[in-house]
Amino acid sequence: MPFDRELLKGSIALLILKLLSERDMYGYEIIQESLRRSQDAFEFKEGTLYPALHQLHKRGYLHSEWRTGKNGKQRKYYGLTPGGRKAARRSEQEWLSFTKVVNAILAKAKA
Amino acid sequence: MHLDGIVSRVISLAKVPGNRRRAEVAEELRAHLEDLAEEVRTQGYDEEATARIVRMRFGEPQEVAGAFASVYAPERLAKLILQSAILVSASTVAVVVVIGTVQLIAAICSATSIVPILRGIHQEAFGFGAITAGYCSVYAGERIFPASGVKALLPSVTLGLWLAAIFGWLIPQHAALPLAAFACAAFGRLLQRVEMPLLWFAGTALPLLTAWALVGPLISGWQFPWLVWLGLTVSCKALQQIVRLFEKVFVEDFA
Repeated sequence: MPFDRELLKGSIALLILKLLSERDMYGYEIIQESLRRSQDAFEFKEGTLYPALHQLHKRGYLHSEWRTGKNGKQRKYYGLTPGGRKAARRSEQEWLSFTKVVNAILAKAKA
Repeated sequence: MHLDGIVSRVISLAKVPGNRRRAEVAEELRAHLEDLAEEVRTQGYDEEATARIVRMRFGEPQEVAGAFASVYAPERLAKLILQSAILVSASTVAVVVVIGTVQLIAAICSATSIVPILRGIHQEAFGFGAITAGYCSVYAGERIFPASGVKALLPSVTLGLWLAAIFGWLIPQHAALPLAAFACAAFGRLLQRVEMPLLWFAGTALPLLTAWALVGPLISGWQFPWLVWLGLTVSCKALQQIVRLFEKVFVEDFA
């Protein structure tokens, strides 16, 4: 089921922070990983990932460096800064609290 | 496959500040598109289908560029303010040097004292500011509205009206001269764009002549303020050089 664009937009920063909290990745890898974990349900325009990455980088949540990947090609890898780790934890907590509240409302509405 | 076409479309619209950063963004997007195209090809699609799928998955270049533009908007604004401050400061210094030199030479040639000029320096300051404002506001209009000559006059006309109100309030007896100087400098810039040598030289005289016809001598004892005209025309030439230098120094933003 395709998700609402605005919903995806609002959660993209959290997903980036969460994925990068596990290891450094480059843009294409982030897309592949989110598709794999969501079993291809999490689809969004891939080009819009990069402005989001740059925004987080500007906020000081990410560091970046060009590295040579497995196939010998140069890729720009992103990783979390200490501030980014804190932001990742905070965003995750916020998201969990938010979904808990929304779920509670939905459950009540069903009942 | 027009991967480069997608990248250059994004870059041309994204307004990412700085040559190096723009090149890096282009490189990053190109790498992504290459990976994406490779993935699609391995699924057995031909080149045409690959191009279509890549474009679909990547998104519209305008949309990606718009997102980049909003990420870098504050930085662009800060850079613009800094560059404008540098241009206005350098222009004002140039105007002060040119007009000061003209007045000094005139004082030496006519064996008159420069003390009265120095006493009235606060009024001169309005004139210096007005020349810079007149010239730079037309230049700003050219940058903001590069496609429309009429719209390019908007900043200048707006600023001129504001200055008329401010000068009319602060120096009601002497407002005509700085206002005429403002119009002369604005005219000078406009005429410098016309490919006719020295047209601007005569053009700067037009607002002065108009002001002279309307309010009489702008400087007591002078029927036509020749010195002011000379100072203004030389100032316009100096300001043109400063604008050229400015565009050379900040070349990446004028590419």
